[in-house]
Amino acid sequence: MNTLYLEYLKLKKKTRNWLGPILVFILIMIAYPLTVEFLQKDLEQGFFSLLWISMLLSMMLATEDIFLEDFNDGSLEQILISTSSFPILIAKKIFIYWAMIGIPISLFSFLFSLSITKDLQVSLLIMPLSMLCTYIFLNLFVFGSALSLNKGSVLGAIITMPIALPVLIVLGKSVIAIQFGINYLEFLLLLLGGLSIIITAVPFIVSYVIKAHLE
Amino acid sequence: MMNNQSLIIAEKIAYKINDKKLFHNLSFYVNKGEALHICGSNGSGKSTLIRIILGITSQTKGNFNYGNTKKICYLGHKNALKSYLSVADNLMLLDLDDHIELDPYLKKLELKELLDITVANLSFGQQKKLALLRIFLNDSDLIILDEPFVGLDKKTLDLVIDFLAKELDAKKGIIYTSHIHCEIESKILNLE
Repeated sequence: MNTLYLEYLKLKKKTRNWLGPILVFILIMIAYPLTVEFLQKDLEQGFFSLLWISMLLSMMLATEDIFLEDFNDGSLEQILISTSSFPILIAKKIFIYWAMIGIPISLFSFLFSLSITKDLQVSLLIMPLSMLCTYIFLNLFVFGSALSLNKGSVLGAIITMPIALPVLIVLGKSVIAIQFGINYLEFLLLLLGGLSIIITAVPFIVSYVIKAHLE
Repeated sequence: MMNNQSLIIAEKIAYKINDKKLFHNLSFYVNKGEALHICGSNGSGKSTLIRIILGITSQTKGNFNYGNTKKICYLGHKNALKSYLSVADNLMLLDLDDHIELDPYLKKLELKELLDITVANLSFGQQKKLALLRIFLNDSDLIILDEPFVGLDKKTLDLVIDFLAKELDAKKGIIYTSHIHCEIESKILNLE
């Protein structure tokens, strides 16, 4: 049976795990206009910063106990002794989380961006950035979650947060580039390059960390 | 000495945790068609030894030779079942849903009628039976079991023992720990 489908099946049944982060993201986005003065200029000013930080928090929430259940019920031990590749399984798991949480959040980011900025061009350019950054954040927080497996997720999040800061800086610069009509493709490629390194390295690092935990 | 019958050979295995020697100089082997019963009181290191054999935990000293073992089937204290999924979904996760012998075993274990039930709603014994399907439908050379008989009724216990005896006849190897007496012809490895 295709492990991608099995990971999808597992996550689909855990409604709290995939719906929770999406709802948190939506709630923050809805709450934002209520907390600032209702002027279009004021709304736009801090919107993108809030957008990236909400994504960061949602992804952190999504990966909170990504391995905990498998650790507690003995599935990780079974995977370790099986002939299948552990890093590939981790990569597939992260991909499914991205497909079920990261992509919907990216789509919502387009809608919220459109509703706040009223600029279709800008909102369309935000979409690929959102897609990339959710995938990067997921990978980083999966690493954090693996580090603090069975020791509480806060520790992992604290450890991982500084690694995510450069991504936030690039995202901020990308938005400025979009708003000033400068070529933002370079920032997109920079994120894509970072993502390609992260998605290759994280599954191996995480599998090593989990093995150490099981030992 | 390794030969074409050897499934596993352990040489001078030692394990130390927090400066406490759990066991040392432990040597044993399991050939095809042989069972090894690891005995010992609570805390003597039975489960740790099983984890070392499986490669999950590293031994402090010594080495293993896995000779003719290509695949290992393991059932430990944890059943590796997803409590929020149905029995049928768990069978799919275990990759047993289209196994040719699944149906007879589901009937024998009285799980046939429970396929749509969520595992969380099964009793401990029923969950154990579901986990045992991993063993009954295995295609491995070496079966490793950590307290496999806990929580089983007499009928299922007999079924497991009969099955393990047949597996030995089929030239598979078995390593197990158990505090419950069972009629499996085994070599004894005492960790006391």
